[in-house]
Amino acid sequence: MSTQSIPAQPLAARAPGRRRRFGLDLARPSRRHWLGYLLLAPAVLLIALIIVYPLFISLDLSFQNVGIARLDQPRRPFTLANYERLFTSAEFWMACWVTFKLLVIVTGACFVLGLATALLVNNRFRGRSIARLFVALPWAVPEVIAVIIFAWIFDSSFGLMNWLFITLGLTSQTINWFSDPDAAFAVVAITMIWKGYPFVSIMALAGLQSIPEDFYNAAKVDGANAWQRFTNITIPTLMPVLGVTIVLVMLWVFRDFSIIYVLTGGGPLKATQTLSIMTYEQAFGFFKMGYASAVGIVTLVLCVLASLLMVGRRAEAMY
Amino acid sequence: MHLTKRLKALGLAAAAGALLATGAIAPAAADTTLRFVSWQKDERGVGDWWGALIKAFEEKHPGVKIEWTKVERGAYSDTMTTLFAGGSPPDIVHLASFEFQKFADNGWLENLDPWIEKAKLNLDGWAGQKTCEWQGETVCIMMLYFGYVMGYNEELLQKEGLAVPTTWDEFIAAARKTTKDLNGDGILDQFGTGHETKGGGGQYLSEMLNYVLDAGGRWTDANGKVTIDTPEMVEGLTRWKAVVKDNLTPRDLSAGEVRQLFADGKIAMKFDGPWLYPIMQKGAAKDKLKLAMVPFDPPVGGSSNVLGMASEISDDRKALVWDFIALATSDDFQTKYATMAASTPPSPRADVSGAKGETPHFDLLVEAAQAAAKAGVDRIPTGLEIQYNEFAKMAMEEAQRMIIQDLDPKAVAATMQAKAEAIQKQ
Repeated sequence: MSTQSIPAQPLAARAPGRRRRFGLDLARPSRRHWLGYLLLAPAVLLIALIIVYPLFISLDLSFQNVGIARLDQPRRPFTLANYERLFTSAEFWMACWVTFKLLVIVTGACFVLGLATALLVNNRFRGRSIARLFVALPWAVPEVIAVIIFAWIFDSSFGLMNWLFITLGLTSQTINWFSDPDAAFAVVAITMIWKGYPFVSIMALAGLQSIPEDFYNAAKVDGANAWQRFTNITIPTLMPVLGVTIVLVMLWVFRDFSIIYVLTGGGPLKATQTLSIMTYEQAFGFFKMGYASAVGIVTLVLCVLASLLMVGRRAEAMY
Repeated sequence: MHLTKRLKALGLAAAAGALLATGAIAPAAADTTLRFVSWQKDERGVGDWWGALIKAFEEKHPGVKIEWTKVERGAYSDTMTTLFAGGSPPDIVHLASFEFQKFADNGWLENLDPWIEKAKLNLDGWAGQKTCEWQGETVCIMMLYFGYVMGYNEELLQKEGLAVPTTWDEFIAAARKTTKDLNGDGILDQFGTGHETKGGGGQYLSEMLNYVLDAGGRWTDANGKVTIDTPEMVEGLTRWKAVVKDNLTPRDLSAGEVRQLFADGKIAMKFDGPWLYPIMQKGAAKDKLKLAMVPFDPPVGGSSNVLGMASEISDDRKALVWDFIALATSDDFQTKYATMAASTPPSPRADVSGAKGETPHFDLLVEAAQAAAKAGVDRIPTGLEIQYNEFAKMAMEEAQRMIIQDLDPKAVAATMQAKAEAIQKQ
């Protein structure tokens, strides 16, 4: 009964008081974009809380001489000592060099292998589905399990690789894979390439499948051979995908921790100690969180610079 | 009618209020949960002992539960640091004896002296307890002090006509003779001894210490002065280099993997703590494996793990944690430690006669622990407790450099000395 007594009115006319009270009319065309901000706000706040805040804390810690950090402790005096020590430390520059070597070797090899396998499984042949599965398989294997498999393959005393090398006559005595700096670096790089190339492959395959067949047909009509079609159609069309993929692979190499830590722990003689391993060791091995934060901040800056460089190159290739 | 209804409602509300009130009070007292984090939860023997201790504590304190969480040893230090730094430490604090110093230095461990005094707990003769003193305060109770023993494969030694070695010279000769490529494929299948050469600096240093101590070397003296650049240390480093560089030990294996190889009959002689015996018993070569005193003097030994309480918890919880520590240090549970964990209990009042009956080599474990204690051996060098991880990493890397680059041990000792002093001065 009572509902029938209320006359039908437009929403705005029915609640003028409420609209005035909040002073926010999201229906007005000039304020419609506010709704977008309002809806985004929770996500932005959450990101600020879980990413920006710890980042700020790290930055702040890097300017303090602090061992084990606690938020309820008073702030230590501002100092540049951590950065001074960092830039004069041979260990830091060694870690930079190792990170750079890994970055170039692993990213380069992942790019070549990933693209090659993507091109291979993009062709039509019998067993293509299984081939695609095998190409993607290393990506699906959990990192720690992959590392344990490789640790046993390269085991210095009982590993498969030493047996293979001796059987094939490539060496007369066993190689101490994890006691030799060069060998240990090679093992880490191989494991990372094995784990990382399927990502490039999957991304490139997705990119390849989006290239219209007409492009290739037109090129064929114009007399382009396979290499010309690859360099003039495939690569330029794939560049947006490959650019982003390379940036992601680079960032993965920068931040990867578990492969190196489980395989070598950064040794021997710091031959596999990257910036991320150094950060962890200083923070949780030696409890020097101020110094570790400084290493982390420098790593972050390097990551951002590398990403900007790569994104810039991608843009040039696109247009 | 209305009045009756209101009275009923009031009565019900009062009853509900009373119930809620009693309910609110009772759980606060009864449903206390103490947090206990340990890496030993699933360890055969010692894990069973902790389980029995928790059960006895809970029976003695109805309504109080202990939430026992396992954290792997490899991630233990990080996890505990994060828990303490985040302001939510475990109530019962279990730490390795080489890592508690950093927590004590931050003021995170309760001074146990008033509790010990109040409970009249006698710690005279308690093995390794001196290690728990930090800046004049007792911050923990030592739970294990041990001495290394030597496991050996009787069959492998007999095949080469060798007796159980009792000196360094006999040992190195036996190790060379028993290191073999059995099938002629160019790969060694059997090793004279086994050491962990992969992993953390702490374990690497413990392995090296076998040879260093026998040569008369020490990382630091009793006053904490670094004493690496000495003829004795040079001799110790020379011995370590000989064992590793000549492949008398398998390379790049973790401690667990080396123990398993010994248990399976691939290693002739292995120096280790009391925990080696349960692993030997499960190995493929268990019938051929025996225990003896190490051929070195003194044996490696030292403190293992400690028990303490977090300083930031409430007084009520502290009282409960102390009850737990008191139970762990009671004569009854120290006696059980010998039988259940098959290890030497730190308490001098523990009755080990039962353990001697159950564990055939128990006398040997006691003898090794006493020999190490008498010589004042500990794996953590005096004066480098706080910087131990950094020092251990440095010493490991310099020893690795000596082996990889074939450096003169004398030069390596000098480098280690300089670096250790620099670490100590930080």
